[in-house]
Amino acid sequence: MTDKFRENFGNWQKSFEKETKQSSVKANSDTDEGIEIKPVYTKDDLKKLSFVEENSLPGQWPYTRGPKASMYTNRPWTIRQYAGFSTAEESNEFYKKNLESGQKGLSVAFDLPTHRGYDSDDDLVMGDVGKAGVAIDTVEDMKILFNEIPLDKMSVSMTMNGAVLPVLSAFVVAGEEQNVKKNLLSGTIQNDILKEFMVRNTYIYPPEPSMKIVADIIEFTSKEMPKFNSISISGYHMQEAGADNVLELAYTLADGMEYVRAAMSKGLNVDNFAPRLSFFFAIGTDFFMEIAKLRAARTLWSKIMKDFGAKNEKSLILRTHCQTSGVSLTEKDPYNNIIRTSYEAMSAILGGTQSLHTNSFDEAIALPTDESARIARNTQLILQNETGVTKTVDPLAGSYFVESLTEELSQKAWEIIQEIEELGGMTKAVKAGIPKLKIEESATKKQAKVDSGNRVVVGVNKFKNPKEPSVDVRVIDNNKVRDDQIKKIEEIKGTRNQKAVEKSLSDLTNAAKENSNLLAYSIEAIKNRATIGEVSKALEEVYGRHFATSLSVSGVYGKHFENDEDFMNVKDKVEGFEKSNGRRPRVLIVKMGQDGHDRGAKIVATSFADMGFDVDMGPLFQSPKDVAKDAIENDVHAIGVSTLAAGHKTLVPELMKSLKELDPNSKMIVFVGGVIPEQDYDFLYKNNISAIFGPGSNIIESAEKVIDLISTNLE
Amino acid sequence: MELAEKIINGERAAIAKAITLVESSKQDDRIESRKLISQLIDNPGKSIRVGFSGPPGVGKSTFIESFGSYLVGKEFKLGILAIDPSSQITGGSILGDKTRMIEISKNPNTFIRSTPSRGSLGGISNGTREASIILDAAGFDYIFIETVGVGQSEVVASNLVDIFSLIVGPGSGDELQGIKKGITEYADIFIVNKNDGNLKIEASKTAADYKSAISYYKKNEDSSSKEVLLVSAIEQTGMDEVINTIQGIVLQNKKNNSFESKRSEQLKFWLSEEVKNIMQLNIQRKIDKAGSIGHFSDRIINGDISMYDAIETITNKLQNE
Repeated sequence: MTDKFRENFGNWQKSFEKETKQSSVKANSDTDEGIEIKPVYTKDDLKKLSFVEENSLPGQWPYTRGPKASMYTNRPWTIRQYAGFSTAEESNEFYKKNLESGQKGLSVAFDLPTHRGYDSDDDLVMGDVGKAGVAIDTVEDMKILFNEIPLDKMSVSMTMNGAVLPVLSAFVVAGEEQNVKKNLLSGTIQNDILKEFMVRNTYIYPPEPSMKIVADIIEFTSKEMPKFNSISISGYHMQEAGADNVLELAYTLADGMEYVRAAMSKGLNVDNFAPRLSFFFAIGTDFFMEIAKLRAARTLWSKIMKDFGAKNEKSLILRTHCQTSGVSLTEKDPYNNIIRTSYEAMSAILGGTQSLHTNSFDEAIALPTDESARIARNTQLILQNETGVTKTVDPLAGSYFVESLTEELSQKAWEIIQEIEELGGMTKAVKAGIPKLKIEESATKKQAKVDSGNRVVVGVNKFKNPKEPSVDVRVIDNNKVRDDQIKKIEEIKGTRNQKAVEKSLSDLTNAAKENSNLLAYSIEAIKNRATIGEVSKALEEVYGRHFATSLSVSGVYGKHFENDEDFMNVKDKVEGFEKSNGRRPRVLIVKMGQDGHDRGAKIVATSFADMGFDVDMGPLFQSPKDVAKDAIENDVHAIGVSTLAAGHKTLVPELMKSLKELDPNSKMIVFVGGVIPEQDYDFLYKNNISAIFGPGSNIIESAEKVIDLISTNLE
Repeated sequence: MELAEKIINGERAAIAKAITLVESSKQDDRIESRKLISQLIDNPGKSIRVGFSGPPGVGKSTFIESFGSYLVGKEFKLGILAIDPSSQITGGSILGDKTRMIEISKNPNTFIRSTPSRGSLGGISNGTREASIILDAAGFDYIFIETVGVGQSEVVASNLVDIFSLIVGPGSGDELQGIKKGITEYADIFIVNKNDGNLKIEASKTAADYKSAISYYKKNEDSSSKEVLLVSAIEQTGMDEVINTIQGIVLQNKKNNSFESKRSEQLKFWLSEEVKNIMQLNIQRKIDKAGSIGHFSDRIINGDISMYDAIETITNKLQNE
C-alpha cells in the first residue's frame, strides 16, 4: 500500500471523527445478518477476498459476476409474474391479458387444497378452495388453465411442492391433449419440499418419501423432458418467514446439495440433471445486501458443484428467479409498497437475476387487481426500457463495498452450510427442526426491532400517513368457487371409466411400495381422470400424511424490550390480572384450514408469552370445530386466529358457531390477525370478532388491547 | 344446574371451568374449589389414573397421541392432563403439547388440558390432583397425567396415579447407574420409546438394561410387578402390550387389595403434603414479617455472629412467637 493512501486514510479518519463528533470511526452493526457495515470501504478490503475471484469476468468461474458473459446486454431478464385466481377460467383470462401486455413467461399459483393434495369437495378444505391461487382438481381444470396458450412455446412455472406428482402429471397430460409432446414442454416446477418442512408447511408426506418423490421427478424430467427445470430451490419463503440473508442463502444452498445427493443416489450422473436445477430467492429492502446475496449464491454454488464432481460448465452455474419481498409490504399507507418494490427490483437486477416477479402493492391485503398487477409489471418494463440498467453487465463489480459484502455473506453462509453437513445434511436437520427454529428466532428479532422502533418502517412506525388511503381489493366468493369445482368433479366422476381409474391408482400404490419411479404411474392415473386428491391418497396409503411437531423460541422478543415502557406496562397489567383473577391471561393462537404460513402465529405466541401471557399453540391445519374444542377444554380467555390466505370469511364464522355449540354462555374473546382486507372488517365485527390486527401491527400494542378486552369482558 | 352436576353429566365447558377453579390462586376460588371437590368426591367414577413421565425430548406427547388414539379406537373415554414446563424468566409460557396430539385432540371422547407448571417443585402444578378428581367424576375411563421428569418430580407424580410409568429413549440405559433408587422405585412400567428404524437394536438393548436394573427391586417388593415395554409411538407398535400391562397390574392390585390401599396411602401423602404446604407458607410469612434474615445476614458478613448462632437465635425467636 502506498504511503499516499495511508496518509489519505488517516486524514479521512480525522475528518470523519470531526464531522460526526465521534472519538473513532465506528461500524454500524445493525444488520439482521450480524455483518458490520463500515462507513467507508477501500482497496484494503479487497485484500480479504477468498471466495470472490477479483480477476473473473461475467460468465466465468466462479460466476460471481453473472451466469452469462453478455447478460442483459444481449437479452434482458424475463418478466415473470406469479398469479392464480380461484378458477382456471379466470386465471386463463388473466394470463392471456398479461401475455398481450409484454409478459414473457407464466407462473401459476395454486390454491391451498391443491397444494396439500385435497380435492375441492373434501370437508377438510371448506374454507380454502380458490384461496391464494387456482383450484385444480382434475386434468380438465389444467386444460382450461392453458386454453389458447400454446404449451410448446410458453414457458410455464408452477409453484407446487406437496402435490407435485399429480400436478406435474396434469400439466403433461394437458400438453399431450394439446398435441404437445412432453419433450417440448418448457418451464419449472418448484418441487422444493425441504423448505416446506422449514417454513411454508404445504407438505403431504413425511420428509423421506417426499425426498424420494423429488428425486423421481428429477430423474424422469432429465430423461423425458429436457427443456423442463425439475426443481426450483427456494430461499424465498425462508426470507418471507423471517430468515435473514445469511440463513436464506445457506439453507437454500444446503437444500440444493441434498437434492443433488438424492438425484445422484438414483444413479444419475450429476451433469445429466444439474444444468436443470434452478433457484428462487427473495429480494428484500436491504439494497446492497440483496445484491451481494445473489452474487454470493452463484459463487458458493459453483464451488459446491465442483466438489460434487460436476464437469459440465452448465452444472456449475446457479440460475435464479427472484421475487420482491412480500413481507416488506405494509398494509398501512399501501402506495409506499410501489416504491419498496421498485428498489427491490433494482437490487435483483444489479444482482443479476434471470427472471423477476415484482409484487403488486396491494398484496399485503389481497390478491392483486388488474390495475395493481399492471403497475407491478410496469415497474419492470420501466427498468428495462428507461433506466439503462441493461447496458452494462454487473455494474457494481469492483465496488470495494459490494465485493466485501459478497465475500462476508459467502463466508458466513459457508459456515452454516458446514454445520448442516456435519448434522448429516438438510433432511436430518429438518427432521430435527433446527432450521425452522433458527428462522423463527430471526423472525422474532426482526419483529422486535420494528416494534421497538429501532428499525424504521415508513408509514408504520414512523412518518405515518394521517389520511390512510382506502384501496379497492379483489373479492373472492369462496363458496361459489367451491360449488363450481364440486360440480365439475361430480361430472367427471360420472363420465370417466371407473375401472381404469381404480386400476391406475392401485398401480400407483404398488409402485410406491416397490419403490419405483412414480411419475409415469401418476400420469397414467391423471390421464384416466383420477383427481389430484385421489392420486395423493393412493400414495398416502404407503407413506402416511406428515404432521409436524412444533418447537418454539422464547425470550428472544422480550430481550429487545428490557427497559421499554410500553412492554413493561403490559407485563404489569398481566401481573395485575393474575392477582385479581387467580391465573394469567390465557390465549390460544391458531391457524385454521390449509394455510401453513405460521410465522405470524409463532411470533405472536412467543412475544405474548414474553409479556407474561399463557399461550396455547394449536397444531396446523385445524378445523374450526377442533379449535373450539381445544379452546373450551383449556378454558382460554381469548382465541387469536392468524390468517394469511383469505379463508377467514368462511372459517371465522364457523369457529364462532362451534364455540356457541360447546358453550352457549361462552365469554371467550376472538381476535383475528394477518392479511385481512378492510372491506372484511365489518363482516368480522358483525360475527362478534373483538379485534382485528392487520399486517405490521405493533405486537405490544396488540397485546395491550387483548388484555384490556379480556379484563373488560370479565367484569 | 350446579357445576358439580354439569361435570357429572360430562359437560365439556363445565369440566374446563372447574379445572380453572381448582388451579386458581385466588382466595375466593380456593373456597369454592374445596366445596366442589367435596361434592365430587362423593360421586367417584371408575377412572384408572396413569402417569407418564420422562425426560424432555423422549416423545411423551407423541406417545400419548399414539397410545391415546389406540385407546379411543377401542371406545374408551380419555382425559389428559398435560403439565407443561413453563418459562421461569418471564412468567408466561407456551403450551405446545397439543401440537403433538393432533388426532386425539379432535376426538369427541377425549378431554385434553394443558397446565403450565409455574416452576412448582416436582413439575406438578397446583390443582392437578383436584383436576383428576374432576375428570374421574366426569366419567372418563382413563386419566393420563403427563409430567416432565426432573428428579424429584416422580415422587409427587407417582402419588397422583394408580400406575406410574416412565418413558425413556433408546440409549438411556447408560444413565441407569446414575438414577439409583428414585425413579425405578416409583415407576410401575418402563416404556422404551422409539423402537423403530435404525434405533431398534439400541432400544432393545436399553430395555434389557432396564430389566436387569429392576430385577433387584422385584425380589424385594413382591406385591408390585414392574414391567419394561418396547414401543414405537410413530409406528404405533407395542400399544397392545401397554394396555394389557396396565390392565394386568390393575387387576392384580385389585385382587390383592393393594389398589385401594395404594389410594389410601396416597391420601395420606397428600394430607401431609397439604398440611406441610400450609405450614410452610405460614412460616414463610412469619419469617418475612420478622425481617430477621436480612438483619442477621448482614451481621454474619460483618463477622459479628456465626451462621450457626444466627440460625439458633432466629428459630428460637420464631418458635416463641
